[in-house]
Amino acid sequence: MTKAKRKIPPVIKLNYSKGDLIIKEGDYGTSIYEVISGKVGIFVESGGTETRVAILGPGMIIGEMTFIAGSTSTRSASARALEDCCLEAWHPAMLLNAYKKMPDVLRLIAGQALKLIVRMNKIVVGLSLKEGQHKDSQTQELSDQWEEKRKFYRKRVSLECIFRPANSPKDLKIRGRIRDISKEGLQMTVKTSGLLNYTLIPGDELFISTYFVSDQKVNMTAKMTWLKKGETDGTISLGMAFTHMEPEDRKRLGFFLMP
Amino acid sequence: MTVNSQVLDYIASEESFLDKSVIIKEGSMGDWMYVILEGRVKIKKQTSRGLLTIDTLSKGDFIGEMAMLKQGNKTRTASAVADGPVMLGLLDSVRLAKEWEAQPTRIKKLISNMIQNLEEATKKAADMIVESR
Repeated sequence: MTKAKRKIPPVIKLNYSKGDLIIKEGDYGTSIYEVISGKVGIFVESGGTETRVAILGPGMIIGEMTFIAGSTSTRSASARALEDCCLEAWHPAMLLNAYKKMPDVLRLIAGQALKLIVRMNKIVVGLSLKEGQHKDSQTQELSDQWEEKRKFYRKRVSLECIFRPANSPKDLKIRGRIRDISKEGLQMTVKTSGLLNYTLIPGDELFISTYFVSDQKVNMTAKMTWLKKGETDGTISLGMAFTHMEPEDRKRLGFFLMP
Repeated sequence: MTVNSQVLDYIASEESFLDKSVIIKEGSMGDWMYVILEGRVKIKKQTSRGLLTIDTLSKGDFIGEMAMLKQGNKTRTASAVADGPVMLGLLDSVRLAKEWEAQPTRIKKLISNMIQNLEEATKKAADMIVESR
């Protein structure tokens, strides 16, 4: 297993349509987004309703609060596209080193700003609820008025992995390459020469392990849903659906998939 | 809350203020910054119904950081008023500004954006308090 997977993903551009949910309050996720075009609304939920606490336009940042608060905290507000918009997503790993090296004073100031924003938002949300929802157009019922279209998308990757059939000896390691991955499953290619004497058929359960961005190994159990000849000779392509993952690994996958 | 020892290292001078004295005036210019060493400071904002207290800060908290880290104009966004006798540490703004400038662009963007959000959230909170009365 090489450590090449530790490379920090580049900045990616994402397009959202009006109404799309970009970040959901309470989710795990540490990506930071810069609004390139369009408008994004920031909403805080309380008592079954959402209150808009801010509108962000080009040049503004979303998701910085979770970054400052640390990766173990959840998103403190939801972000939705108020119109069609384009965002640039920064992977937190890109900024983490620089942030850690920052003088304590600057970090403390950022931490205080975060604390005060949370306090101010609480005042705003608390008072808008008291005012009554009918009166305040910024507050709306949490309904299907907004389409849930978070980009938990199928991510194209090229990740080395090792795997073995569930019923094989524990020390068996077959190499594969994950081509894309989502919350539900993954697609990978395997060199037939590396399969040794193992025959894989749909329905087989595999133990797969890989590394996403850091040194942390992620283990996944998945069932093969399909198998076909690979695009290059001597390879096969496997479609896998996850059947088991430890909560910690699921969280890591969630982080990895969050744009 | 205590004052972080690293922060103490930045203190250029100590200043004491009597109860109710204005430390920073909203709308004035300036980008120096204090850390509260003793006492409490009320953060007030001018509204259509007069001066309104929106927050109270205490030992270890910073005052004036918004103007310091904001991009562009250095107008004070809120007033800071002593709530009882207060001892403040004035931070070395030259050193702070130098260290701030040395940060990577994206980090600066991220933090100044947060400061801007704080400014807006503060204004909105003040408006909401006025409306609800």
